[in-house]
Amino acid sequence: MTETSETDLIERAQRGDRSAFEALLRSHYDAMYRMAYKWCGNREDAQDITQTACIKLARSLASFRFQSAFLTWLYPLVINTAKDWMRARARHPAGDGKDPDYAQEPVAEQKVYAGQVLDRIRALPEREREAIYLVFSEGLSHREAAQAMACRESTVSWYIHEARKKLRSLREREARHG
Amino acid sequence: MDERQLKEILGAEAVPPADENARKQAINLALAAFDEARRETRKKRQGFGLLGRLIGRDRKRSKGRPMRKSLVLGGSAAALLMMVATASVFTARSWLDAQRAGPQRVLMLDKADAGRDPGEKREREFAAAEQAAPAPTIAETKRKPAKQPSVDARGQLELQYRLSSPMQGGGVPILVVPSPGDVVPPHYQDVGRDQFQSVEQNPVKRVAEDPVSTFSIDVDTASYAFVRRQLNHGVLPQKDAVRIEELINYFTYAYPLPEARERPFETTVSVTPSPWKDGNKLIHIGIKGYDIEPAEKPRSNLVFLLDVSGSMNAPDKLPLMVNSMKLLLDTLGPEDTVAIVVYAGAAGTVLEPTKVAEKNKILAALDRLQAGGSTAGAEGIRQAYALAEASLDDKAVNRVILATDGDFNVGITNREELKDFIERKRDTGVFLSVLGFGQGNLNDHLMQTLAQNGNGVAAHIDTLNEARKVLVEEASSALFPIAKDVKIQVDFNPRKVAEYRLIGYETRALAREDFSNDQVDAGDIGAGHTVTAIYEITPVGSENRMIEPSRYETTAAVSETPFADEYAFLKIRYKLPDQDRSTLITTPVTLAQESATGASAREAQWATAVAAFGQLLKGGKYTGAYTYDDVIALAQGAKGDDRFGYRAEFINLVRLARTASALPKN
Repeated sequence: MTETSETDLIERAQRGDRSAFEALLRSHYDAMYRMAYKWCGNREDAQDITQTACIKLARSLASFRFQSAFLTWLYPLVINTAKDWMRARARHPAGDGKDPDYAQEPVAEQKVYAGQVLDRIRALPEREREAIYLVFSEGLSHREAAQAMACRESTVSWYIHEARKKLRSLREREARHG
Repeated sequence: MDERQLKEILGAEAVPPADENARKQAINLALAAFDEARRETRKKRQGFGLLGRLIGRDRKRSKGRPMRKSLVLGGSAAALLMMVATASVFTARSWLDAQRAGPQRVLMLDKADAGRDPGEKREREFAAAEQAAPAPTIAETKRKPAKQPSVDARGQLELQYRLSSPMQGGGVPILVVPSPGDVVPPHYQDVGRDQFQSVEQNPVKRVAEDPVSTFSIDVDTASYAFVRRQLNHGVLPQKDAVRIEELINYFTYAYPLPEARERPFETTVSVTPSPWKDGNKLIHIGIKGYDIEPAEKPRSNLVFLLDVSGSMNAPDKLPLMVNSMKLLLDTLGPEDTVAIVVYAGAAGTVLEPTKVAEKNKILAALDRLQAGGSTAGAEGIRQAYALAEASLDDKAVNRVILATDGDFNVGITNREELKDFIERKRDTGVFLSVLGFGQGNLNDHLMQTLAQNGNGVAAHIDTLNEARKVLVEEASSALFPIAKDVKIQVDFNPRKVAEYRLIGYETRALAREDFSNDQVDAGDIGAGHTVTAIYEITPVGSENRMIEPSRYETTAAVSETPFADEYAFLKIRYKLPDQDRSTLITTPVTLAQESATGASAREAQWATAVAAFGQLLKGGKYTGAYTYDDVIALAQGAKGDDRFGYRAEFINLVRLARTASALPKN
């Protein structure tokens, strides 16, 4: 979708055009789902999170001011929903939250390591984790990530620095034992 | 670990595609939310003053597509949205409620009031716990410095209060003063979706013409919770929502307990001077049901019939309901059985009858509940009764507990049919209780009717504390009926009483001849229940008579009669739960009962205060110059032990009502 047509859709949806909103949803559902999946790591939760986020979007779209890219504005919406969802889950644990289909498939050693890193990332403090995702997974610049996270650019850099320090210790341990 | 590697790992993570159905559902739900949002924006424009200005173009739209409930899980959207922007909804709601309450009231809760009131705090905490989304209105509010109050064309000062969430505003209400242009008067007044039956207060009756008063007892308390909720939002409740007997019976009174189960309840009668009218007297009739010792509780066979329609998707509905059910579960014995049926778009059995010993299974089933879909109450009722009957045990208490937030949209929409159905099932031994959750969609009347036909109670649950009261403290009373079809008849002595008026119980009036007709159904009383009824009487010779006597009536003084010291004669009929023939208890109401002291005098005083409050809320037709302050003074003196703080909470409610009613009427 070109930028103009996206802007146009948003504006129309903000004015109450139902079909424009629907088109907007259809074009962004996958991106939102992807964000949710990256955050929680399993399909069921990701679908539920995306659903909740879509509903939230219906209400809050009116407050989008075109001050950032729409996607950048969407990140915190999805990620906050995901955070709340996972918190609620933690209160009522039901299973380990992993998707059995994907967790149990036979994997090469490299994949095991990647899985460990991902697990490690999911165990990071929320803000650090958010910064890592936005920058390394979604490819945002520190500046854009700062916009999405509603903090200063230097804070994003600091989160990433902290997160990498923690991840590095995993690597070092790996090296010692490996 | 370097950046490249991180990027690789994150990028290489396999993301399985989303399920196509999940995708469709999400989009449908969001579209429904979108429709609802637009509807709300139009309807509750006042509440969204700031938002309205920001997307002002929407205002030009005069008509929108109505939400198609049957199509997609519609209501959930609305409810979820409430959760999303809780702060703004509070505002909209309060404003809407103010409109609905009749005269336009504009509210400002002072900080002290907000701080004093535990109910409100609780609710706010609840909301905050669920407050998930960025709530734009709050942010906006915070950014804008509070403007000076502005005066609109009509010279009125319009204020709106906006409760900030504790997370964002430190729990202090933020006052927002919209500029005149933002405050659009509502287009129509009757937008309240909570439905109440409109009932006139019982009139004053002349003993000479109508010496006998007959009514059925009522142990429901739903009205109190609703009134509390409204007052905590700073609005006076609709007059029809106030049922005085339910306010009075909300409290537990320390009447003497009956000794044995054969005589299931004890009556306590006292006569006190009327605080709102000199010379008049109040006759209190207190009934305390026999309390079952835990050891002799019969087994329970419960079927939870839970509404999981979309509209239940609000923090004070489904999550509260699930937590309430968990509380109830704790009070059950290991041999009791629980089954769960949910109804929404379709009805389904979530849990087959399961012994409470397998508690984990039940808890897991409760935790799996999710809201979505429209409400097909009737279908669910059929399934629930089928389950209850499948495990029907003559010695057990067989009960369906229906938890809903309102209407029954699909299925048996004919109320009479539904009533008949429940009534027939009642005769097979399965009773029904109804728990109402949330507000905005409640069909109070239907709830009451269903519970009354199903020999159960209807209660409105607005907080977890209330759930504890209804389901835990009163669990045995709600679950174990000790007497059914309890009717009260009072025969007034025309030589002592000129006029009388029954306070409350309007919906429970019976014809005089119904009293001894065992075919006529009446209210039931559970273990440990207390029921209080108050008559206001004008003694013979008093100047307070409301009705002029007939010119031709003999006024000649009657010589001494055997009943000279009796105001009235109280008759109570009841049936034991397994009997079809009624038993009669009688007690004279005598002059000697005027000198009550100690606990019974205090309890009578408390009931009087609550009755006075209820009457003031209903407009104070009979209470003369009595004020909320008088109610507070009267109640303060009768608080007693108040172990759980219910009476203290009541006094706070009176203060809130005083604040809300003191504001200028438009």
